[in-house]
Amino acid sequence: MADYREAPLATRPKTLDPNEYFNLSPDYRRAEEERAALRANLKRQYQLQLNNPHRTELIEDPALTRWVYARANPYPHFRPTKKTSLLGVMFGVVPLFALYYIFKTDRDKKEEMIKAGTLNRKFSLSY
Amino acid sequence: RQQQPVNMAGVGFQRLAKALAKGKGSGLSALVSGCRAASGATKDSLPGAYPKTPEERAAAAKKYNLRVEDYEPYPDNGEGFGDYPKLQDRSQHERDPWYKWDHPDLRRNWGEPMHWNFDMYLRTRVDTSPSPVPWSTMWKQLFGFVGFMLFMFYMGEKFPSYQPIAPKQYPYNNLYLEKGGDPAKAPEEVKNYEI
Repeated sequence: MADYREAPLATRPKTLDPNEYFNLSPDYRRAEEERAALRANLKRQYQLQLNNPHRTELIEDPALTRWVYARANPYPHFRPTKKTSLLGVMFGVVPLFALYYIFKTDRDKKEEMIKAGTLNRKFSLSY
Repeated sequence: RQQQPVNMAGVGFQRLAKALAKGKGSGLSALVSGCRAASGATKDSLPGAYPKTPEERAAAAKKYNLRVEDYEPYPDNGEGFGDYPKLQDRSQHERDPWYKWDHPDLRRNWGEPMHWNFDMYLRTRVDTSPSPVPWSTMWKQLFGFVGFMLFMFYMGEKFPSYQPIAPKQYPYNNLYLEKGGDPAKAPEEVKNYEI
């Protein structure tokens, strides 16, 4: 895997990152140790709650709560900008009018053909 | 002190009635209590607005259990992210399968900050792990094959090639009697061969 190349949909895994093996600076090591300390603290909190014999309730995950809250409440942080307005129009307004127009013209054409008697009206049993 | 037998189901109603009797407010504010329980998530542990000052950034990093240097909020362009951290777009497929995760099926530890699109990066959905063959090669092979087949079918439509055929030849003078010809009359001789 020495010739591994990243692609837009294929990222470089941590085990193939050369910075993990060469040129390990003290800053990098310190950063990794700080991250490990945070992780260990969370692990400790979880294990204490998990192995507590007096615990009767489910262990609540605040990270999960925050994620759910963030996903469910984007509205206070919404601002109409060029990009957001464009997206809103593209997904909300344009399909409405476009679909109405398409269906109306298609149905009107079909109605005219039926009135003129040119439409081949098949008797299909399945649909 | 004597323990008086009390119906536990009625305790709440009794207290409510007492509070209403001496309550200060009127209407709904008399019914709704002014204090709430201290359990559950506190207001400052929930996601908030985009952090503008370095102190706000540090507080947000601490809230999300990230290092201050690692914490990077989504750009403030009004798309509704707030101060939620921007994590790497890696799917759970890429995480170490042999490490003892707290939740092995999700390959996640308790309390770890979740990606905004976590439910997309599950192990049953989008996979960002490295592919054995480069993506460009895969695209070329797929579209090369499909394009070639489409082109060949199109050429086959344009230039069809069949076995030579002729109308079917029937015996007995072109089935003169079977087609309802008069048995008394002599049929015209039909010769379907050439010697």
